[in-house]
Amino acid sequence: MALIFVRTAVIFITLLLIMRLMGKSQIGEMQPFEFVITLLIAELACIPMADSSIPLLYGVVAIVAIFILHQIVWLLDLWFRPMKAVICGRPSLVITKQGIDEYQLRKNNLDVSDLIESMRTAGYFNLDDVYYGLYEANGSFSALESGHKTNSLAVTIIDSGKINVHNLEMCGISREKLDEFLKQQGAKLKKVLVMTVDGNGRVYFQPSGKPYRILHTEVSKRW
Amino acid sequence: MVKSVVLTLAAIAACAAFFIFIEWYLDKEFTEFYLAADALYEKIENETANREDANAVRIMWADKRSKLHIFIPHNDISYIDYRLNEATSYIYTQDYHSALANIEIVRQLAKSVPGNYKLRLENIF
Repeated sequence: MALIFVRTAVIFITLLLIMRLMGKSQIGEMQPFEFVITLLIAELACIPMADSSIPLLYGVVAIVAIFILHQIVWLLDLWFRPMKAVICGRPSLVITKQGIDEYQLRKNNLDVSDLIESMRTAGYFNLDDVYYGLYEANGSFSALESGHKTNSLAVTIIDSGKINVHNLEMCGISREKLDEFLKQQGAKLKKVLVMTVDGNGRVYFQPSGKPYRILHTEVSKRW
Repeated sequence: MVKSVVLTLAAIAACAAFFIFIEWYLDKEFTEFYLAADALYEKIENETANREDANAVRIMWADKRSKLHIFIPHNDISYIDYRLNEATSYIYTQDYHSALANIEIVRQLAKSVPGNYKLRLENIF
């Protein structure tokens, strides 16, 4: 039985480590260790229940082990502040007044499209609708509104150096026009972190490793 | 807070006590069974084993088995069951060579099974 306890602890620690390494993209509004517990409990309860050759006590001991590990993690969280950051992680500031923090996004295994999706879920449809945007330790998105929310939906034209052809057509911007626009900004396509355009032709343009700029371009279609 | 700490410590202590008990209990049960199987082995080797000897070991195992089912996977118990019944059948027909081979397997299982559930590095991984 001690063996089952230790094996459960090994799996728990491994899963917790993997979840922490996966970053915030995988957890979605749960602390990493809560997510690990959710993953484990169902399986631990089901296997001895369904397989009559395994004593039910094996499932019970493993679940008790999970309970004890949960309590230990929770107490470590309370007593040793640095442990909280190690076990649960820290909030990640992904949008600042300079624009998107590419490093923080990468660190959390997220990309610009994930960030835009999180912003839309939070009710912000333009990247400059917020002064600050951050992913909490539990993976949820929080933002400080900038006070000048735009009234048109922004679509992504360039995401991490790649053109979204569908959106480009939707805006009625030709490839030549886009190339001309990039030339004017002195930026190469591969070096553009993000470029979005809204229905009024308002452009959010951020080259990789540089602050964003708000520009304007002609869009032949309105949405 | 204090309640949670006390609860956690109590759970750890209860688990530790339970694990020590299980290890002791498995060792005790399998040692007793091994000694019985070993005595039967010697009798078979001397070709003096009879139905009563075989049945005595089988009854002893049946009694232990009912409790061991709670603590170890049932497959391990089935292996011992199977070999012990086979050995008994051969004793009934006085085929001592075949009985010896089977009771040797039972002896080895009685010796090795508790080790499979001990807290050792090879069992963890």
